[in-house]
Amino acid sequence: MIPTHYFLILSAILFTIGVVGVLTRKNGITIFMSIELMVNAVNLTFLAYARQFHQVHGLIFVFFIMAIAAAEAAVGLAIFITLFHHRDTIDVDEANLMHW
Amino acid sequence: MEFTIFFFFAAVAVIFALVVVLHRNPVVGALSLVASFFALAVMYVLLEAPFLAALQVIVYAGAIMVLFLFVIMLLNLQHVVEPSTRPIQQFLGYTSAAAFGFGLIYYLVKYAVFAKHPDGPFVADARTIGMELFRAYVFPFEMVSILLLAAIVGALLLSGRTYQKREAAP
Repeated sequence: MIPTHYFLILSAILFTIGVVGVLTRKNGITIFMSIELMVNAVNLTFLAYARQFHQVHGLIFVFFIMAIAAAEAAVGLAIFITLFHHRDTIDVDEANLMHW
Repeated sequence: MEFTIFFFFAAVAVIFALVVVLHRNPVVGALSLVASFFALAVMYVLLEAPFLAALQVIVYAGAIMVLFLFVIMLLNLQHVVEPSTRPIQQFLGYTSAAAFGFGLIYYLVKYAVFAKHPDGPFVADARTIGMELFRAYVFPFEMVSILLLAAIVGALLLSGRTYQKREAAP
């Protein structure tokens, strides 16, 4: 049986890669994909602790996080489509004003 | 055997995650993210949660990432050259992320190494999750359904209005 902290360290590495993506990229969609990566790293942590402590609550949390990530992806991508129609770019540095 | 599978798929997940972050083409990034999510589904199986592994493949790799790919192709982004970030932003981003990562792993190794293994098998199948979901978590479950409805309406409203405006403009 694989020790729990292996999964925790893998999750920490994936989360850090996601942080790098959010901090250093300009493409809005890539930043969004990095956020999805971080969400998945957190899911892995929830499952690792759920197995360690034999709690089903962690699994329920992962279930809800997946549903919320789906909602977030739909709305976020709609925002990017709107941004692209108005500005012809999805460079997040171009979208520094709160009005069109 | 179990450890071989773990390390192989951990390497797959990390390498494809790096491709997502470092590659300039968003289509390659989205497909690598699908591969990374598949490797994470294997991790879920190793963590004895086969139901959530199936959900990971169907919902994440299947639905959400297809949505990403559709939007990338709809906006014709595969030929857009991304301007490189300012050097100061790159430097600050990499150093602060590295510091964050090292801190995270340091404290994980220091405090979260469990001496005892989890005792006995713990198989979280669909039945276990369903019973708990409809016993203790009914209210959050309904809230999530309302949230998904709100997301549908919001997405339609956001992307539909620009379409009408585009048609009316010229």
